[in-house]
Amino acid sequence: MTPSDRVAPDQAAPDQGTRTAWRDPSARAARLKRAEWPLAFALLLLLVVADAGLGPLLEGTGWWWLMTFTAAGVLLGSAGFRRVGLPVFLGPLAGLGVLVAVLTLLFGAGSGWLWLIPTGETIDRFRDLALSGVVSIEQQSTPAEATAGILFLLSAGAGVIAILIDTLAVILRVPALAGLPVLVPLLVPGLALGHEANLEALVLTAAAYLLLLHVEIRMRRAGSLPGPPVVAGPGTVAPGRRHVPGSSKGAVVVGSVAIVAAIVVSVATPVLPGGSLTRARPGSSLLFANGVSPMINLGQDLRRPDAEPVLHFRTTATRPPYLRLLTLDEFSGRNWTAGEAPRSRANAVDDIDLPPGFSPDIKTSETITTIGIDNLAARWLPTPAPPRSVTGLLGAWYWNEATGSITSPGDTTRGQEYTVTALTLEPTAEQLREAEGAYPAEIRRSLRLPAETPALIGDTAREVTAGTTSAYEAARALQDYLRGSDFAYDTEAPVEAGYDGGGIDVVSTFLEVKTGYCVHFSSAMAAMARSIGIPSRIAIGYQPGSLSASGSVAGVGRYSVDTHDLHAWTEVYFEGVGWVPFEPTPGRGAVPAYTQDDAVTVPLTDSGQAGPSDAPRPEDLGGQNAADAQADASSPADSRGGIIRLGLLVLGTFALLLLPALIRVTRRMLRRRGLLSGQSGAVEAWREVSDTAVDHGVFVRETETPRELAARLRVLIGSVGGTESVTEGAGPGGGAAAEALDRLLVGAERSHYGRPGDDAQSARAAERVADLDVVLRGIHSVSGRRLRVRATLLPASLWRPGERRIGRPAVNA
Amino acid sequence: MNTSPLRSVSVPALAGNVGGPVADTDDETLMDLPAVEAAARAIIRNVETVIDGKHTAVTTALTVLLAQGHLLIEDVPGVGKTMLAKALAKSVHCTVSRVQFTPDLLPSDVTGVSVFNQVDRRFEFKPGAIFANIVIGDEINRASPKTQSALLECMEERQVTVDGSTYLLPLPFTVVATQNPIEMEGTYALPEAQRDRFMARISMGYPDTESELMMLDARDTSSPLAGIEAVVSGAQLRGMMTAVQRVFASPAVKEYTVSLVRATRDDRDLRLGASPRATLQLIRAAKAQAALHGRDYVLPDDIDSLAVAVLGHRLVASSRVLGHHQDSGPVVDDIVRRIVAATPVPVGATGHP
Repeated sequence: MTPSDRVAPDQAAPDQGTRTAWRDPSARAARLKRAEWPLAFALLLLLVVADAGLGPLLEGTGWWWLMTFTAAGVLLGSAGFRRVGLPVFLGPLAGLGVLVAVLTLLFGAGSGWLWLIPTGETIDRFRDLALSGVVSIEQQSTPAEATAGILFLLSAGAGVIAILIDTLAVILRVPALAGLPVLVPLLVPGLALGHEANLEALVLTAAAYLLLLHVEIRMRRAGSLPGPPVVAGPGTVAPGRRHVPGSSKGAVVVGSVAIVAAIVVSVATPVLPGGSLTRARPGSSLLFANGVSPMINLGQDLRRPDAEPVLHFRTTATRPPYLRLLTLDEFSGRNWTAGEAPRSRANAVDDIDLPPGFSPDIKTSETITTIGIDNLAARWLPTPAPPRSVTGLLGAWYWNEATGSITSPGDTTRGQEYTVTALTLEPTAEQLREAEGAYPAEIRRSLRLPAETPALIGDTAREVTAGTTSAYEAARALQDYLRGSDFAYDTEAPVEAGYDGGGIDVVSTFLEVKTGYCVHFSSAMAAMARSIGIPSRIAIGYQPGSLSASGSVAGVGRYSVDTHDLHAWTEVYFEGVGWVPFEPTPGRGAVPAYTQDDAVTVPLTDSGQAGPSDAPRPEDLGGQNAADAQADASSPADSRGGIIRLGLLVLGTFALLLLPALIRVTRRMLRRRGLLSGQSGAVEAWREVSDTAVDHGVFVRETETPRELAARLRVLIGSVGGTESVTEGAGPGGGAAAEALDRLLVGAERSHYGRPGDDAQSARAAERVADLDVVLRGIHSVSGRRLRVRATLLPASLWRPGERRIGRPAVNA
Repeated sequence: MNTSPLRSVSVPALAGNVGGPVADTDDETLMDLPAVEAAARAIIRNVETVIDGKHTAVTTALTVLLAQGHLLIEDVPGVGKTMLAKALAKSVHCTVSRVQFTPDLLPSDVTGVSVFNQVDRRFEFKPGAIFANIVIGDEINRASPKTQSALLECMEERQVTVDGSTYLLPLPFTVVATQNPIEMEGTYALPEAQRDRFMARISMGYPDTESELMMLDARDTSSPLAGIEAVVSGAQLRGMMTAVQRVFASPAVKEYTVSLVRATRDDRDLRLGASPRATLQLIRAAKAQAALHGRDYVLPDDIDSLAVAVLGHRLVASSRVLGHHQDSGPVVDDIVRRIVAATPVPVGATGHP
């Protein structure tokens, strides 16, 4: 023997054949070269399914395809790199490289070198995209339009998650943990935004996750994956037997727990109205900004199933005032937007100018309103209009006549408590009727209509206002027309029919369909008024809400405003009076006094019903229409629905968890039936025995003969059974069980290895079934409680059958 | 050769009651399996009155005998190699001869020699020690290669050719050779090719304390061999052998055996794998073991339990594995056990219910 032939003593260990395969350089190289495609595809499937959980947050599906493309690039790219022999530990770097290349390709707009390698320009572009994405996310409400910035962030996020799960599953060999990063897209809708849990996505993700575990176990068993050393369960180690790595039961358990936890958390979130989770949501009540359509967001807040408190106020006004946030007077055709106006530091809120067009002839009253914001993070201050002064604000706030709003450069309304002194205009109908004259230039802006305005709008307006003699008459005619019985209030229908928003096409559609909500009514009235030469704009804010039952202090009522009180209405300009609100939405808010016939100075409650002027609008009187009632009633109904939904989901989860048990029980039943009917024989009975053994934590190897398994089982059920038969006599298992086991074993061996057709005399099916039952009971009775529960709920034989057919098919059939 | 097909086949089930006449049956052709099992038990019991605590070795030896193979007993001196061989031979009623191999033993001493008969004035053949049903070859490695070759040729061919005449050896014919692995100086260890002729190699091992104490009591004064009598007649033995040949080996078991043997050829720790003859003998031995247990079909367990005995002495460990080990036997046995443990067991004909 040459010295080079000598090996280290430890390598000469008896069972080193199986171990040296790991140390051997060539085996190692082979392992490194493996791409592990099934694992990569399982990871990809898991990720893209989980990404679909973002569905409720975003419009369209393009973003999903983009995320899928990125994730596929990263995962399959890393696998490919491994395939060509890249060391495993470089995998994350390779994934990162692929991610950067994909992002450059998709978002670099050709700035990359060869379209793939990022340059300085690309990096600048990325930074801009990321910033605009963050801004878009902050400003949009859901479902958000997937802007380029958001798409960029989504793609990058998908790529990062892909790298993470690739690292976890392939490099660190803990695919069970790969389920954690993919929870991020799943939980964002549930946790961050309080959306309902996307149950389909959760269930699909769970399925994909289990598939991943399955693939991993399969690959590990096939020996293509080295696994971490697994602590073998009881009865799994026989001396001299090959150690088969990959009892991934632990992984399955971890995975199941994670899935269930995710489902429970996501489901529980939306049924906690007013809970800390929902309160913590920043600005969820009103997220809109200049760039996107406030109208649509308003509708979404109205459709929100659970009304959430926004603010409360007390007022000295005889009628609870509308609280205006801002006005929209630029009509671009697609949208109403607020006019651009430079912020002026001079416009401090302690002394606000009189509104334009105001004349001292108009009767006014000054009201003082104290407002406390409960849960609203908007940039605009809700105030009664027109405000004269605001005190008690935190931070710097400035008023802006062009947008009719009070804004702050750095603060939001969150947590503010402030007092507003406002004017209440009380013009008489006569004064309005006589308001005539040329509009000033800045008011003429509010006459503009987009060029592509359909003729229907003008035609309808002229038809409705035919015979009127003044702007006031015309405006009243429009309001009455819209509040007429032809029109119906419905927050859902426009969304379903696809004409949501305030655009000019939407208005035209709305005039035909005659179903919509405040956005449609107000924009329709404004558009029609403009079409016949009356300056008009849309105001957005809150209707007064409801008088709290407990709220009255010293005769001053406390009003609570929630998200369902968000409202849009029309303001019409009259020379000499100023902007005067109208209420074209049927059943919402209150019709201003000056639009009532004959009741010139008596303020009325809504819908023309007379009432004491100081009475707050009662929640449940006839003044509320069906829609409002429905909106209000929906909160208890919703919480009840939530509980039912939670119950159903818990039931569903349980059913899902019980599924393995069900499959196992069914299989056992079918086998027993087959045995009894004589269709199957000893082989089937033995298969059931070995499956049950696997269920109870006995590790059955394919290198083991039935007899060896039986010997181990006999030790198991014989020892306990023996004492039992002594002490109790009729106990299960024991000697009887061991004998039954032997009979089953001999039968199975005869079927497996005996002369074909020689087992014809084994026809006593009932005895065999009885034997089987005795053995199964024996195995069950000697197992610990934990094992028993596991055997029932999570039968391991489902994914690791006790007896596998290997080798060539038998030729002697 | 008594491998001719037999017709009166009735292999009853295992469930039958063990018992019935053993000693006086003259049915030479076939013995039913319960009877085989009972006879085997009787032989084993008989042998074990002489050798305590060596059940596995005794059973394997009987298995080889029934499978019509040859047995190599390899162990240090004084553990009862010869005793086992003798006891086994005496337990069956057949001719036994014993050859003590020494370096000066000539081939003709084994095979026989033609002697000139002065009376008849012609050469007549004087059969050597090989002409017996059971031949005990003691310390076979002490003989010269020439003599070893002569013996081994007889073992394989079951005939002797001397001076152009061929003489058939009696059936059954089994050589039980012993070999001392320690004291190798001046010996001629059997080459691999010749070890292949033996169906199985067993080693006795030292007895445990209890057995050794019992041995002191039993063998203090007299050799216990004197008290042994045959429990099975020669005809019965032949009947048992016939029954063994009729044991069924299913395709699954054959497949398993082949994959086991093939694994030894591919194993990187072995320089020399098992030959096709080894496959054949492994199946034969397994059949005998199945019959010993009253089964008419071979189980993978039979293969497993015989693999070390049947394959061990045919394999040569690579020098890398052997390392500083003086004795390759245990190393090779471990390798065989490892291969057995790592070879998947096919489940057989599940096609029929």
